[in-house]
Amino acid sequence: MIQAFNLHKSYGGGAPALQNVSFTIQEGEFVFLTGQSGAGKTTLFKILFGWEALDQGQVLVGGINVGKLNENNLYTLRRKVGVVFQDYKLLPKKTVFDNVAFAQQIIGADKKTIRFNTWDALKSVGLTNKKDAYPPQLSGGEQQRVAIARALVNDPQLILADEPTGNLDPEISLEILELFEKMNQQGKTVIMATHSLEMLQVRDHRLLILNRGRIVQS
Amino acid sequence: MISFVLNALRTTRHNIKANKQVFLMSVATITIAFTIQGLFFLVFVNLNTLLSTWGKQVQLIVYLDDDISKGRMNSLEETFKSNKEVDSISYISRDEAWKGFKNTFYEKSGFVTDLDFNPLPASYNLKFRDGPERLNNIRELADSLKEYKGIESLEYGEKWISRFEKFMIILRVFILVVGAILCVGLILIISNTIKLSIYSRQDEIDLMLLLGATHRFIKTPLLLEGLVQGVIGVGLALGIVKLIHVYMRFQFQGSLESIFRGVDLQFLGQPLLWAMILVSIFIGWVGSLLSITQYLHSTDRK
Repeated sequence: MIQAFNLHKSYGGGAPALQNVSFTIQEGEFVFLTGQSGAGKTTLFKILFGWEALDQGQVLVGGINVGKLNENNLYTLRRKVGVVFQDYKLLPKKTVFDNVAFAQQIIGADKKTIRFNTWDALKSVGLTNKKDAYPPQLSGGEQQRVAIARALVNDPQLILADEPTGNLDPEISLEILELFEKMNQQGKTVIMATHSLEMLQVRDHRLLILNRGRIVQS
Repeated sequence: MISFVLNALRTTRHNIKANKQVFLMSVATITIAFTIQGLFFLVFVNLNTLLSTWGKQVQLIVYLDDDISKGRMNSLEETFKSNKEVDSISYISRDEAWKGFKNTFYEKSGFVTDLDFNPLPASYNLKFRDGPERLNNIRELADSLKEYKGIESLEYGEKWISRFEKFMIILRVFILVVGAILCVGLILIISNTIKLSIYSRQDEIDLMLLLGATHRFIKTPLLLEGLVQGVIGVGLALGIVKLIHVYMRFQFQGSLESIFRGVDLQFLGQPLLWAMILVSIFIGWVGSLLSITQYLHSTDRK
């Protein structure tokens, strides 16, 4: 699913955010990406969904050479990747349903498909009863589940979750982790960034550890 | 495609609603600028009409030497008749001219009637056919007759006409320059309005990019927003110019007609109206495009 070779990225004159990062992730794998704050996890994610450019190296995501994409065709990569953020990135003035449907509207799905897929995605995260609520009316865990439904609704091959449980208490975090595992069982490749030791201990998934921009375990 | 268009329209309406104040400010600025431009056009169009009305009244008067031979007069008449642009020729003898002069000025100036000789020459009055080249035709014939023996002088108000024509050229250049400056100003204003619209929706636009929206999907509603600003602005401006035109006609048409016979205060013609509307659409489009392209470029991978 992902093949990365000697990725290198630096911002300004400081220490590089990523140095010679190489790894391979197979289709259908569940991988924890971990490391201390500032280790380069978010930078790596941003490179994988085309938000940041590489200084050196090559990365293939689902067969797409990310470095070769230009601003007009980056969307082809982003439609293959579902991204979940720590801060949810929900639109506060849209209902739960509309937040999820938004992802479908963007890819030009028709009304009927949007309704069907949005409902399906909300069902899979157990939030159909909250479809008319607005994000500020929901708890952190519920908001994250909306974000997961939005990442799921376009049926991506790869899910990148950047500290999705960072703002949640342990019990809810476990529920969220279970949601990602459910998606993984349905065939999706999941990379979940976390520095929660608890989470890493309770599950036996492959570990990708970054330290100061270098892969120390893959 | 239909859902894309509907979504673009919905988003445009949503954007306008969300930034109502900025939108209205921008529309007001466009309205003022196009009203100024429209008034310039109104003045220009009416001065042009005045020029062409004058032009229609212009005739070529060929004053003859007192000792011109019959043969030369015949040859002159042949020259006039052979010119296809000459509509009618009338000969006024010295006596007829003197009689006419005395009738006209009898009450105003007594001394001229006391003269014991006729100071006026005989003349031909030539009327020309209507057409856009009428003044040029008169000028051409006058030029060809300048060296003709037996002609004392030629008269068709050339100095006034050429001064007025020069003034119209200067006015045209002035309007074009002012118009161009206003257009650049408006593009910058619309661009800034759209920029505010973009910044107020920055999270949403970034999210769209993250979720795989195409640039076209993001650009279209914002381009439409600029376009709507332009069209509403020019529509209001033309309405104001029309009101001013109606008021001016009501106030000044009577006195204008008594000074310049046949002159009617005109409104802007259809081609000019369409040109203004198209320019406003263009300005709206370019203004939006500038800020959207700039924003999308700034979000591009670094």
